[in-house]
Amino acid sequence: MSEKHLSSQFDSELNAISSRVMEMGGIVEAQIDHAIDALADLDTQIADQVMETELRVNAMEVEIDRELLSIIARRQPAARDLRLLMAISKATANLERAGDEAHKMARMVKSIVNGGMARTLPGNELRVAADLASALLRKALHALARLDTNAALSILKEDDLIDSEFDGFVRKLVTYMMEDPRTISASLDLVFLAKAIERIGDHAKNIAELIIYIVKGADVRHTSMQDIEFTLQRDESVS
Amino acid sequence: MGAWMMAAMSFRIVTFLMACAASAGIAWGLWGLQGLGPGAWLGALLWFALDARGAHRLLAALRGGNAAALPTRESGGLWGELAQRVRKLLRERDKQVHQAEDRLQEFLTAIQNSPNGVVLIDEQSRIEWCNQTAAQHLGIDVHRDLLVHLSNLVRHPDFVTYLASWNYSRDVVIDAPTPPNRSPGGLRAHPLRLSMQVHAYAGNRRMLLTRDVTAREQAEAMRRDFVANVSHEIRTPLTVLVGFVETLQNLPLGEPERARYLQLMSQQAQRMEMLVNDLLMLSRLEGGAPPPVNQWTPVRALLTPMEDEARALSERLVPGQGHHLTVTMEDDAEIAGAVDELQSAMSNLLSNAIRYTPGGGKITVCWRVLPDGQGEFSVRDSGPGIAAEHIPRLTERFYRVDRSRSRESGGTGLGLAIVKHVAQRHGAQLHIHSTVGQGSCFSLLLPAARVQSAAVFSKL
Repeated sequence: MSEKHLSSQFDSELNAISSRVMEMGGIVEAQIDHAIDALADLDTQIADQVMETELRVNAMEVEIDRELLSIIARRQPAARDLRLLMAISKATANLERAGDEAHKMARMVKSIVNGGMARTLPGNELRVAADLASALLRKALHALARLDTNAALSILKEDDLIDSEFDGFVRKLVTYMMEDPRTISASLDLVFLAKAIERIGDHAKNIAELIIYIVKGADVRHTSMQDIEFTLQRDESVS
Repeated sequence: MGAWMMAAMSFRIVTFLMACAASAGIAWGLWGLQGLGPGAWLGALLWFALDARGAHRLLAALRGGNAAALPTRESGGLWGELAQRVRKLLRERDKQVHQAEDRLQEFLTAIQNSPNGVVLIDEQSRIEWCNQTAAQHLGIDVHRDLLVHLSNLVRHPDFVTYLASWNYSRDVVIDAPTPPNRSPGGLRAHPLRLSMQVHAYAGNRRMLLTRDVTAREQAEAMRRDFVANVSHEIRTPLTVLVGFVETLQNLPLGEPERARYLQLMSQQAQRMEMLVNDLLMLSRLEGGAPPPVNQWTPVRALLTPMEDEARALSERLVPGQGHHLTVTMEDDAEIAGAVDELQSAMSNLLSNAIRYTPGGGKITVCWRVLPDGQGEFSVRDSGPGIAAEHIPRLTERFYRVDRSRSRESGGTGLGLAIVKHVAQRHGAQLHIHSTVGQGSCFSLLLPAARVQSAAVFSKL
């Protein structure tokens, strides 16, 4: 994830912290996959497992932040290294939030199951969106490991798919709620669940933006797609 | 070599002496006797200068690292010979290197073609080399991902812990990381299950073997399901039987009631018998000898009893109404194979159609020989049809589209599994077409080698 430095110690520190982030990413990925399984099978046991993992993710976030501070204080990095470390800090935060969303999904699944209205609602239709979000995060972490800006760009484009799935799902739920007011509380849980999935997609998108930041040094947050593409192309033609 | 060295050394001494003598001779001719000494000295100096030039040329060529620029033997003397020796040595070394490279390439090709994924990892767990299979399994790019940390790409927590533990006595089974460039919306219906086993070698280098165990895990799951299903299917009629037996034992019942209960008990017992018969049939099909290829039976002989049986079943299921059953035989033919198996397969298809088509529905059975010589046995019904997602799973044992409906119509859940096995054993194909609301068509396509049309065998 980083290039050679005069100080091989610094190199190995950067590598170690990158690996820690990827490890944390792996845990969050598994957490999200489990949350999706819990949703598909309406299984409270898996949901409990997801909620337990959350503690581990939180601990890792704190630990990575501490290591980051220590590296920045001792090495006083500049340019690309500084960007890498900043991005790692933000990626960690995003991953932790994604983990939180998985935790939220698990909690909602439990609440839906305990409410007893589970089978009558179209919970399974969330599957497409959930798989999309999980695949997007996986792709974002792959791109981060390879520092692949092209993959990052395609992630930014794909996030819209999840958003439109979310809108469609909410519209469908509204019809269910109008038909039978008893389903309202479970439907609300499902809306939160869908929102959590949509947020996971957003976090994947943030990580993709960080990749462009590390490699190109351009901050592409809150930037239109044309401008991002322009930035990437311009840098390519220069370099 | 020694002799040559001696020769070369003596050649050197001779040329040196000759140079001295020649130069001394010339000096003697020019200046007389007193020129002899300095002339010899001059000759010696000249000789040394030439010699140094040869040595310098050789050194320059060696410094340049260019074997082609080495002076040839013809340039003469010790240095030419030396250059020649160096060149020969280099050439041999080159050949060895080439051979070693070829061998390495062969090894890599062998590993490349291994059905297992192989990833070589260095001591910092970076990817050094991986074969195509591993790249597919793990979503690695063979060229771009070299020297990327393996655990950055394969991030499953179980695997990361395993890789870091340095204890590789067992393998770890994980879901394959989905290749990131897969089409969006691709569902993870059957995630690839991978068994990952690391072997340490040469100090702290490691080799990761990945094996696709999806099929094995599926087979295990199927076996578990099968046992659970069999026990369930057998227990259901048994529970009913036990219930009636207890009633008969404990309650004083009138004669008509007794008769009715006994009637129900016998139905359940028949169901169990049917199930056990089907199971036995399946196990016979799985383990039995291959069906004979030269035992010919007229199709007519198979169709007639089947038709009678079907009409009886139809009458029993929907008394008074029945189904519109038509059996047509377009071509008279003979087919080769195990008679009882073929009969069982055909009557299973027909009885399915009768069971699942409501009373008054139309069922058409047709036998014909296709232009390419294949024989087609088809059963078309006007039943409720089967949704597309169920069709690939229909031949699984105990697979039911609709649990409640299937059981009341009295099937065992093994019929189509038997048909599939019979078809496989005879090299035939089972085709299922169905439209929900319009009906289904099951057809059995027998290979041409097992079909003999009437026209052919009447000539013989």
